[in-house]
Amino acid sequence: MYDFNYHRPSSLDEAVTLLGQGEDVKVLAGGHTLLPTMKQRLAAPSDVVDLSRIAALKGIEATEGAVRIGAATSHADVAASGEVRNRIPALAALAARIGDPHVRNRGTLGGSIANNDPNADYPAACLALGATIVTTKREIAADDFFVDMFETALDEDEIVTRVDFPVPRRAGYAKFPNPASRYALVGVFVAEGGDGIRAAVTGAGPCVFRVPEMEAALGHDFSPAALEGIKVDAGGLNADIHASADYRAHLVGVMARRAVEAALEGR
Amino acid sequence: MNERPTPSAHKGAVHRPVIHDSAERHVTGSALYVDDMPELPGTLHIHVGMSERAHARLRAIDLQSVRTAPGVVAVLTAGDIPGVNDVSPVHAGDDPIFAEDIVEYAGQPIFAVAAETLQAARNAARLARIDYEELPAIITLDEALAAATDLAPAPELRLGDPDAAISASPHRLSGTLHVGGQDHFYLEGQVAYAIPGEGADMLVHASTQHPSEVQHLVGCMLGVPDHAVTVEVRRMGGGFGGKESQPALIAAIAALAARRTGRPAKLRLDRDDDMVMTGKRHDFRLDYELGYDADGRIQGARFEFAARCGRSLDLSNAIADRAMFHADNAYALPNAYVHARRMKTHTVSNTAFRGFGGPQGMMAIERAIDEIAFALGRDPLEVRRANVYPADGSALTPYHMAVTDSVLDELTEELAASSDYRTRRAAIRASNAESTAIKRGIALTPVKFGISFTTTHLNQAGALVHVYKDGSVHLNHGGTEMGQGLFVKVGQVVAEAFGIELDQVKITATTTAKVPNTSATAASAGSDLNGMAAAAAAQTIKARLAAFAAKKHNIAEEHVVFEAGRVRIGNQEMSFAELAHQAWMGRVSLSSTGFYATPDIHYDRATGRGRPFYYFAYGAAVSEVAIDTLTGETRLLRVDILHDAGRSLNPAIDMGQIEGGFIQGLGWLTSEELWWNDEGRLRTHAPSTYKIPTANDRPDDMRIAIWAKGENREPTIHRSKAVGEPPLMLAISAFSAITDAACAATGYRAFPRLDAPATPERILMAIREATGRAGKK
Amino acid sequence: MTSVSMTVNGKPASGEVEPRTLLVDFLREHLRLTGTHVGCDTSQCGACVVHVDGTAVKSCTTLALQCEGADVLTIEGLAQGDQLHPMQEAFREHHALQCGFCTPGMIMSAIDIINRHGGVPDETTIRHELEGNLCRCTGYHNIVKAVIAGGEAMAPGRAAAE
Repeated sequence: MYDFNYHRPSSLDEAVTLLGQGEDVKVLAGGHTLLPTMKQRLAAPSDVVDLSRIAALKGIEATEGAVRIGAATSHADVAASGEVRNRIPALAALAARIGDPHVRNRGTLGGSIANNDPNADYPAACLALGATIVTTKREIAADDFFVDMFETALDEDEIVTRVDFPVPRRAGYAKFPNPASRYALVGVFVAEGGDGIRAAVTGAGPCVFRVPEMEAALGHDFSPAALEGIKVDAGGLNADIHASADYRAHLVGVMARRAVEAALEGR
Repeated sequence: MNERPTPSAHKGAVHRPVIHDSAERHVTGSALYVDDMPELPGTLHIHVGMSERAHARLRAIDLQSVRTAPGVVAVLTAGDIPGVNDVSPVHAGDDPIFAEDIVEYAGQPIFAVAAETLQAARNAARLARIDYEELPAIITLDEALAAATDLAPAPELRLGDPDAAISASPHRLSGTLHVGGQDHFYLEGQVAYAIPGEGADMLVHASTQHPSEVQHLVGCMLGVPDHAVTVEVRRMGGGFGGKESQPALIAAIAALAARRTGRPAKLRLDRDDDMVMTGKRHDFRLDYELGYDADGRIQGARFEFAARCGRSLDLSNAIADRAMFHADNAYALPNAYVHARRMKTHTVSNTAFRGFGGPQGMMAIERAIDEIAFALGRDPLEVRRANVYPADGSALTPYHMAVTDSVLDELTEELAASSDYRTRRAAIRASNAESTAIKRGIALTPVKFGISFTTTHLNQAGALVHVYKDGSVHLNHGGTEMGQGLFVKVGQVVAEAFGIELDQVKITATTTAKVPNTSATAASAGSDLNGMAAAAAAQTIKARLAAFAAKKHNIAEEHVVFEAGRVRIGNQEMSFAELAHQAWMGRVSLSSTGFYATPDIHYDRATGRGRPFYYFAYGAAVSEVAIDTLTGETRLLRVDILHDAGRSLNPAIDMGQIEGGFIQGLGWLTSEELWWNDEGRLRTHAPSTYKIPTANDRPDDMRIAIWAKGENREPTIHRSKAVGEPPLMLAISAFSAITDAACAATGYRAFPRLDAPATPERILMAIREATGRAGKK
Repeated sequence: MTSVSMTVNGKPASGEVEPRTLLVDFLREHLRLTGTHVGCDTSQCGACVVHVDGTAVKSCTTLALQCEGADVLTIEGLAQGDQLHPMQEAFREHHALQCGFCTPGMIMSAIDIINRHGGVPDETTIRHELEGNLCRCTGYHNIVKAVIAGGEAMAPGRAAAE
């Protein structure tokens, strides 16, 4: 790891100011993406801004029709939250299956989505639930937030402060974890909410994406059987040391059906 | 698993489940590994600069900016080596410490940086400018076979007339199986700490299974005799064969830095560098052709193997030989031909790994038997049992050794009964007919594993025992502790000999200064060899003590009895300590070496005949798996193991070896996949990409038993049997069970051609391919 | 260099570190607490697990500076004098170790599991929660047994609620 300047602001304003200074400033949330990346020298920031002492970024709050989760809330806290478990159990279940206990203790919601790893779990939940990403500057719809592999709509000096998840009528998540890293080789989040049915796929492509054909089919008949025969084109999917594009395409179908099952069972 | 250690029991005794001698230090974090040792002032830290190419000529190596980088004390290349630039374990001259003109794998060391801090060494190493002239690289085994890159001539084993027997058989089959390699993933990576002494002396603390070899190769590298180099090993954080030949490179680089700078120098590879730079289990291509009768009895078999050796010979000859020795596994083949080619590729040189080629060698016949059973519509267990080596010693192996100690018939039947195999198999087949997505499979496979180094001269060991005048005992032997419990077992042997408590015996770090010319702690032979050597040393001292006591008290020596910490001398009794003190006063030497050479073994590699093994270790396992046929994922539901550890020296330790070996074998065959890209770069070089089993992967129901009737027919140490490697191959039962479940997924209409490791994607593809074949019929 | 202070095993500890200094390096090199090991560099193996403010974390993926003012517990801080922590005792007694390299991290994770569940969860849960700790020697059988036994000894009679 190359050395850097370390900052530990106690307020968001201070953090935003720090982001505007220095050549290559990176935000450190839980550190479970940034630090391994820096250890491999795939990132060499000049400055690191540690958000862990900013109280405003933490916590889970239930509002009318939504659950608001602070960006610096750990996966473990999301998984254990009564509010999340009661109102969006699929989201709690998703958080409970990220990485391993130590990763869940440190890794955060904001860190995950700001990094937008193509194999991360949270982007699928954000997109399928139609979440709103609240930042230090604005509110961004999930549909607009995830741009491309490791790329989001965030400006350089913009910090995710919380994510508002509308409470769906029902939702389910199923993932095929990479056996080694436990990132999603393929993960599908299916949700039925105020604006209909959304199905979002992570892990399979360069960036989380929706499958309109599945959404339409589920709109007619919210059941696993409705998805039979719907194939995702392997053309644009990832092929790497862990899986071929064909296998991923196949898994998207299987995971989507399982996500629907989970939604029907309310888990 | 009910062998709970009972530390309060008489600690001296063998055959008792005594806890590991380092257990208390491990649970308190006070056990020292090499990297935990307090560093001497001035210690330098080393980082190795590695080749970026699989095969290239080194046009120029520009290290100017490396030398001038902050904190750098020395930059080392081949030109800095005073002696020989080679760490080949077989003196083949093909394992340069630093590449000179040519690099032959991505990850090959070219230079090393010694700096004040590891960070400084790493930073500096990145400033090197290497000019490569790329050469054509051969990466895969099939490319190597096409180019005939054989590293060494392959001997043959031949029994009877296999071709005639196959032709004359009523049934025949042939096939090909690819079996992947495996990274050792010892939790403690390769590490060595070299401390220069006066003159040419060098002390190296190394994490190695083979201190004597490290000593010798460091000596050769420095151009000094072996006596100038001392290698010490207290413990390793796992070895599994990966610290047999590989540590010489690490130690040589550390020692070179220490020699060139006059300062202590440490090299600890981080995980990624370790996985890229050091050798692994050989992957194999296994071609087989068999003839068999209507009962599934094999009449003749031909095995043509090919091993991917990587860029140099290393131990590949012995490994490929052992693969050949285990082509029969547990089955008497009346006619057999076995051949194993040793192929060069431009990848890291593959090396020893628990089983040493044996596991790969067994896979072909186990696959073939599953296939025979499928073809005949029989239970594979019945086909296996029809072919196992008989107990009467009438059958010969393909290398013409009579198998006189086979317990396979009895052991497999006992396990089939205790695991309720036959009832469960019937139930599984019934339930598979009802279930669409989940298919289950079950298999019982046996293991017969030859014990001894097949290189006969390696079957020797030494020990050194001191009895101090207070009755406490210092034990040293040539074996190394890597977690397998060798130290506690040999400690038990010595405590048993003197009739004292184990805590009176101090088990000390392995060092070339106390016991010379040792063999690697390998081939499962650690306890067999070192236990006997230590027993011999203890026996010598005991005989002196008995003679002294007998003379002093004027009785016959046989009336001096050592037991329970006391010595009975006729009708008198005294503590062991009192006798030791008296003997010292009586000017009796209380120190002795002990030596052991395995008797009766011989082997002629040219004719492929002999008795390379002193005896065989046996075991069998039943695995039951479920496949999710929508994703290809498998789950191991239940495993029953019955293993012959002879009269176990320490059942708790042996249970750990059986369980751990099985799970490691399971990883090899199901999840651990090494993946090189077309340029020959290993892409699975961390646990984030290379999947070893976790607690979640062990079967829900695991029933392990050490065979109660086990006893070594040969006079090994307390009639125990070696147990380090054999259990790994019990995991073949899981692979066969997966094959059975995949077969179920075709409606039992086609035999799936599954390669190892059986990853979900590979299983799914195998089912698809087999289903396609069945459809065409 | 930046100064950092924290409480380690109940005692104040401070030092001058570079911002990039990892907690594990601070523990091993500055404090000479070498029971916390490094087995990988990608946050998978768990040999480096310690507790920070009562939570199990991978100290190879935590900066020392992130722990400013924190309460850190390592394997060396578990025993009370000669009296082993019940979880240490359980790992020792149940033969839940071979080479021992993973043992400190495994024990720290095990205690965290018991603490988090307020008792001993079922075996399946324990195995699932040990996913972040790799052991290459054993088959985890005795490790799981030890977690159960150690957990029971930590809080006798308290099974986890779930």
